Amino acid sequence: MRKFVCVVFALFMCATMVFAQSATIRWAYWGSESRIKRSQQAIDLFMAANPGIAVNPEVSGGTGDHFNKVDTQIAGGSGPDIIQMGGNINDYVKKGVLLPLDKYVGNVLNTSVIDPSAVESGTLDRHLYGVSTGVTMPALAYNKSLLQRVGAPLPKVSMTYAEFRAYLVSLKSKLPAGVYPMQDIGAFSSNSTPFGYWTRYNGTPLYSAATNSTAVTTAAAQKYLELFKDYRDNGLVPPPDVAAGFAETNADTSMLIAGKAAIGFIWTNQLAGYQATTKDELELIEFPGAAATKALWQAPSQFYTVNKYSKNPELAVKFINFLVNSPDAAKVLGNDRGASASATARAAGSSDVNDRKVLEYLNVSGPHSSRETDHVPNDTEFNSTLFLVYQKVAFGQISPAVGGQQIYDLLVRLIRK
Amino acid sequence: MNKKARKRAIRENLSSYAFLTPWLLGFFLLTLYPMLYSLYLSFTEFNILQPPKWIGLRNYFIMFIGNEQFPRDERFLNSLFVTFRFVFISVPLKLAFALAVAMLMNQRLKLIPFYRTLYYIPTLLGGSVAIAVLWRRLFAGDGVLNTILRSAFNLNPPAWISNPKYALYTLILLSVWQFGSPMIIFLAGLKQIPREYYEASSVDGAGKFRQFFAITLPSLSPIIFFNLVMQMISAFQSFTQAYIVSGGQGGPLDSTMFYSLYLYLKGFGFSEMGYASAMAWVLLIIIAVLTAVAFKVSGSLVSYGSGE
Amino acid sequence: MKNRTARRISAGISNIIIIVLGVGMLYPVVWLIAASFKESNTIFTDPALIPKTFTLQNYVQGWKGIGIVGFGTFFKNSFIICGLCVIANVIFCSLTAYAFARLRFAGRKFWFAVMMLTLMLPTHVTTIPRYIIFRSLGWIDTFLPLVVPKFFATDAFFIFLLVQFIRSLPKELDESALIDGCGKFGIYIRIVMPLTMPALITTVLFTFLWTWDDFFNQLLYLNSPAKYTVPMGLRLFLDSSGMSSWGPMFAMSVLSLVPCFILFFSLQKYFVQGITTTGIKG
Repeated sequence: MRKFVCVVFALFMCATMVFAQSATIRWAYWGSESRIKRSQQAIDLFMAANPGIAVNPEVSGGTGDHFNKVDTQIAGGSGPDIIQMGGNINDYVKKGVLLPLDKYVGNVLNTSVIDPSAVESGTLDRHLYGVSTGVTMPALAYNKSLLQRVGAPLPKVSMTYAEFRAYLVSLKSKLPAGVYPMQDIGAFSSNSTPFGYWTRYNGTPLYSAATNSTAVTTAAAQKYLELFKDYRDNGLVPPPDVAAGFAETNADTSMLIAGKAAIGFIWTNQLAGYQATTKDELELIEFPGAAATKALWQAPSQFYTVNKYSKNPELAVKFINFLVNSPDAAKVLGNDRGASASATARAAGSSDVNDRKVLEYLNVSGPHSSRETDHVPNDTEFNSTLFLVYQKVAFGQISPAVGGQQIYDLLVRLIRK
Repeated sequence: MNKKARKRAIRENLSSYAFLTPWLLGFFLLTLYPMLYSLYLSFTEFNILQPPKWIGLRNYFIMFIGNEQFPRDERFLNSLFVTFRFVFISVPLKLAFALAVAMLMNQRLKLIPFYRTLYYIPTLLGGSVAIAVLWRRLFAGDGVLNTILRSAFNLNPPAWISNPKYALYTLILLSVWQFGSPMIIFLAGLKQIPREYYEASSVDGAGKFRQFFAITLPSLSPIIFFNLVMQMISAFQSFTQAYIVSGGQGGPLDSTMFYSLYLYLKGFGFSEMGYASAMAWVLLIIIAVLTAVAFKVSGSLVSYGSGE
Repeated sequence: MKNRTARRISAGISNIIIIVLGVGMLYPVVWLIAASFKESNTIFTDPALIPKTFTLQNYVQGWKGIGIVGFGTFFKNSFIICGLCVIANVIFCSLTAYAFARLRFAGRKFWFAVMMLTLMLPTHVTTIPRYIIFRSLGWIDTFLPLVVPKFFATDAFFIFLLVQFIRSLPKELDESALIDGCGKFGIYIRIVMPLTMPALITTVLFTFLWTWDDFFNQLLYLNSPAKYTVPMGLRLFLDSSGMSSWGPMFAMSVLSLVPCFILFFSLQKYFVQGITTTGIKG
């Protein structure tokens, strides 16, 4: 009888253990074919090593779809366990939907092998919320094949603003009509990176979370608008109606890819994607003036974060730890989500030509970087409205002085919101 | 006697409601709550991820009036004007075109199945990315249209799609070009006109032209009315095409910022779902008033089977 | 004899007008098809319509889908959803429309106005409450939220469409049927359904096409890649922040149009015959 009870008890224990172990982690991310394949390989490796844990990828094609879906899911009370985040991580932390990961550090999550700067970038209000998926940097991409065809000199990787302008002028004389030395990179609907860079260069960074304030002044914003007005008036960037013909949200709407501009703006992790849409060869150079001011920055291309209401937070963190630190995962994931920030993962190496170009760029520009500026609250609205003000100046509807005032007002309003 | 009549009326009502039951259930279980909830949200500040905060009429106040502390939303008013312009130009054009093509497609030609499919193609493409690429290709500064204008007429035309003055018209053209749905409905309507009507009037010696005004238009009037109302409603809510062509930004300079596009941007982009809900209800009132007017006016113009 | 020549000339003119207009309609599809045979790295850089080098690679690669789920699965899922929606809409929208158009009952005008109102609220603001309803039913990551509403005639567009068609039918028809001893349901089945065939065909066609394209709802309610649909699959070829596979995206776009073409082509013949009311009347 006692034996029987023991057996039943043992079976019961086994059953509960299996039950406890059999959990499904929902992992929401955005990406396309190659990322989906790589991610699935990593999932398979993880599931093989951790029987009883299933990982269900909930993948959307692009950030817009991803956040529409995740927001609705969270509002509806069924958010995924792991959420891929971008520069808007602050907004989600402020709204209290992400889980602080501090109690898992050291036991489930090994942060000691991850670059301190990457750990710092995922730390907000002294709590770790996001684990960096990899590093990316803003860069200028130029069309090397085009320059060679027209017999123009190739640009230096590091230039001052004066050298850069002189170079654009020299390009202009070589390029055929309808092809411009540079895209109008002053503002985009989906990101404000070039403006963000320039404010760092100018010593007036956009936002500081510690003081909840901006260092940008009306005069500084006006100076920026005038810088591009000068480029525009001299034909170094296209006139506004030509520029507006390219949405610049993707390679398909890019002036650089269409062959209408010699230089454009991208993030380094986009190089492979852009390169795949053109036969011309693309190369990377820095924003002007980075060497002297260290105004560039390395940014996490994305973060892995955990939903505060996750039923299996520990397993979710365990999976994240696997994704960022395991050499096996690094091998299948590659640099798809940015150049890895984990020493153990980086040791796995890469042979891809675009990865190599990015690595070379990171080597030169890494020393020309400093800590990333905090993201302006309400990132999306800032980008969208900055772009509108910038366009008004470009079309000559308002002066740079008025535009500067509007940008300043916008920043103040969003910080207060 | 009276009792009997009442009983019969009740039975009549009950059996009629039996037909309506699925719809009524759907309305109460699936549609009513979301509608009322969005009405409630329109009086709140709701960033989707945190519980809504009651703020009374502030959202509506910001839309139309505004003050020092809550400045009026100029982008909202702009989007309202853009949308009105779009609706009042594109809907009549689209309907006229759809009806004309439906008449063309209502003939007995050998190749008619092929032609019909051909004419439906633009609508089939709907909101595919191909449209965005194509429209830019046609109406950009160095696009197909301008290449023709330059070489054939020696003109110096603007970049239609990226010029704030003209961008809206390229979208109006896109909407007219996708005339397939009202065309099919017109075609179905034309098919439902009893053939004897035409045969009888032919015997009376009526020409094609007179037949059109004496038979086709009156018999088709319920369908024309349907298309008018539905096209108006959907034009006010027009979203996909503007979203795709402008990369979701309603540019240049908000010149193609449709109401629904701005609503979407506010709700999901800027996380102001309360404000977006208020916008939705303002739109509902605008559309409802216009539709009610259309129904009132239609009373004298639309003729239903056997003069209902 | 003379009459026949005149008819031929008029047919010839019609043909010419139709074809000239049609070329403009065809251009985008030709462009799309041409792009689907171009190599990915020339689609946006080579302005020529006809590709210099033809490749089938886009189709081969596109059919493999997103690596973990093939495109065939997306097609299967889309077909299931569309098929169920079509059946539901034809039955339940026409039932409801019949009630609004032909039956007399208290509150008819009120309910009709309510139905019209449901068309006027932009769907983006009802997304979240609807999601909450379906989540509380435990329907997330199933086809149910996409299909079940159609069984409750929630597509007011089609109700209104059918109402207009039924109202334009001569009323004497049902009166004569009433005399013949048909009940309400009998009139609906034997008179209204057959006579509104063109409108029902329109309902079938539009329900299919619109459900086939309904990206937003499918995105919200389907979580597992194995349940994804065609429009979701197409979006997964593109990612603005990383790699986009334009070639396979265009190839699968072309393929996703094929069922719509076939359906349209096979249904449009029902718009050929005009109805005759004499047979029924007599």
